[in-house]
Amino acid sequence: MLFRVDPASAVPLGDQIAACVRAALADGSAAPGERLPAARELADSLGVNVHTVLRGYQRLREEGLIELRRGRGALIVPGATAPDRARLVSRLREAAADARELGLTDEEFVELARTSLG
Amino acid sequence: MNRATTRLRVLAALPFVLTLTTYLVLLALWDDRIPDTLATHFGGADGARADGFTGRTAFLALSAALLLGLGTGWTVLVRRTALWGAWATAGFAGTLLVLLVRDNLDAVDPAGVVSPLGNLALAAAVAAALALVGLGLTRLVPEGDPAGPSATADGPRLALGASEVAGWSRATASRPLTVLAVLALAAVPAGLLLAPWPGSLLALLGLVVGVPGLALSRVRVTVDRRGVTVRPALVPRPRVRVPLDEVAGASVRELDTAAVLADFGGWGYRVRAHRTGVVLHSGETLVVQRDSGREFAVTVPDARTAAALLNTLAERHGKV
Repeated sequence: MLFRVDPASAVPLGDQIAACVRAALADGSAAPGERLPAARELADSLGVNVHTVLRGYQRLREEGLIELRRGRGALIVPGATAPDRARLVSRLREAAADARELGLTDEEFVELARTSLG
Repeated sequence: MNRATTRLRVLAALPFVLTLTTYLVLLALWDDRIPDTLATHFGGADGARADGFTGRTAFLALSAALLLGLGTGWTVLVRRTALWGAWATAGFAGTLLVLLVRDNLDAVDPAGVVSPLGNLALAAAVAAALALVGLGLTRLVPEGDPAGPSATADGPRLALGASEVAGWSRATASRPLTVLAVLALAAVPAGLLLAPWPGSLLALLGLVVGVPGLALSRVRVTVDRRGVTVRPALVPRPRVRVPLDEVAGASVRELDTAAVLADFGGWGYRVRAHRTGVVLHSGETLVVQRDSGREFAVTVPDARTAAALLNTLAERHGKV
């Protein structure tokens, strides 16, 4: 799986790392059940802080895209729906960014999301 | 497969085709003179008398299969510098078979057949003569590595922003190797406990197969600002690394079973004259050309992305 981060970008590095995993999962270059590189290893590889990588992994775990197991590293959740879930999360994050750009408060965005659930 | 390799294979197969044809023609000519049972093994002590026998049909099938098997083996595994060996093997095996059938001709009692020791000398002489032919034919095969540096100059690239940092990482595994290593390791305690002392110490040999086998059964391949690194998936050492400094270019190759055997001579961690490889299975392979002209190869899925990133990083590093 390809990880690419831009330290010059305004997006936090951890979020960029999470976005790489989502994109890889969505385009099939990472498969459900695949093991991600250990956080320390990926940090060394990219020349970033290990906590930055862990923040990215933590975010992916909250999104239900990876499992973090003590001593066993990070594992993309097994199951055929993982790529679709990654795409859904990406679209949601885009929508949230759009909402901020429109000047919506976080509460207004959540309210809007609730309304669209019908 | 390129032209040079095809030509080499044809030249390796040729002596076996010739030998087999000659052998079959002679069998056809001698058809009614070959007895139903042939003497096929001779004791050295009492004047090369026959002491082993084979039925006619079985002998003909076995001898033809032997030539075919040797021919196939040489054709698949041949190397430019060993072409003479194919010719020598064909000459030796063919001569021995023909002489053996000749000694059996018109034999009423196979036990009375005598195969003089001179047969071996004659076969060796034919083998030596054909080895010289093979050596001469080697000149017809162009020298050099099939995958030249030209293959990497136009290798894949990746669009990477000036301030962007990128790394690629992927785990790859070999199930047969895992099974083999686990079995070898399981045999160690079993052997130590069950076999009589001190012969049971032989079980420790299982460690010799099991530990490196397990280390190789699952590896992680990383391409980043430091170069290419291959190491066991679970522990950071031992590792194999080609530093970015020494990367001249990267490309992707599809390795099938025949190519694995011809270029690496098998699976595992392979060190050959012009290349080193971590070859765990067939399929997509990342091939790294080093400055020294040597090649480093590792079988890994999605090798195209790895090669593209490596070329891009090497270029940024002021190389390629």
